[in-house]
Amino acid sequence: MTEIFKQKQLRPEIWSTVNERYPGSMITKEDYVPLSHLTKPLSESKLTFVSTSGVQPVGTMPFDTVHPIGDYTYRKIPSHLKPPELEIHQLKYPTIGANQDINVIFPIERLQELAEEGIIGSLTENLFSFIGYNMDPDKLEHQLAEDIADAVVKDHADIALLSPA
Amino acid sequence: MSLPYLKEAIQNNDSEKLIRYVRLHFGDGNEEAGRKEIDKSWIEALKLLVDSPPTDREFILNTLETKDPETLAHLYFHLHFHLIKESGEWIHDGNL
Repeated sequence: MTEIFKQKQLRPEIWSTVNERYPGSMITKEDYVPLSHLTKPLSESKLTFVSTSGVQPVGTMPFDTVHPIGDYTYRKIPSHLKPPELEIHQLKYPTIGANQDINVIFPIERLQELAEEGIIGSLTENLFSFIGYNMDPDKLEHQLAEDIADAVVKDHADIALLSPA
Repeated sequence: MSLPYLKEAIQNNDSEKLIRYVRLHFGDGNEEAGRKEIDKSWIEALKLLVDSPPTDREFILNTLETKDPETLAHLYFHLHFHLIKESGEWIHDGNL
């Protein structure tokens, strides 16, 4: 384990809170999944972004934030879009800051800048978003996650940046 | 609270666990807040009907008769959040 994992967790109470509020909702994995290694320089790699922020293009079907079991769909967000073309459909996390500058939760302009500056090769045609309130761990893992993984592969991503909201 | 927990509660006809699930959902993980939210949505619905304003009963009856039970149940959850939003007291900002 590297030194970074020994650092103090910023919100050490979060896991007990999650387990208390949503018992049984955590996906636990015993098997070790090795990380893939990059096969080309970062400056030549195509990056995608997958987020649980509930960000979506304006005018697309809003995420279902009221369903008691959750929403197992995702939205493709064309990576060339600008913040005014995006909106958030999500409950359960503070969106005040994100509604002022969506980059704080979905850093699309920062990613575009990384591509323009040549730090990364390019962005995939689409970035991806879904909502985090999903109470069926099996469906989350075997439907939603696999659907997104397929879409990421179709967009020829070399790297995926994953971010919970 | 996960789906397996919910299915187990349905199988055991455990009403307490089932309503706890609903309260946690409506209260963003806070059971007491969820209980208040349920009360609040019913109060909002009641307030709108106190003066017996005209309502579209044809739409209501048609919807109840023609839509499948799953859609109606889903609509029920939508109506709860809709009434809460209309009340102006919105707690679902992640700050619980």
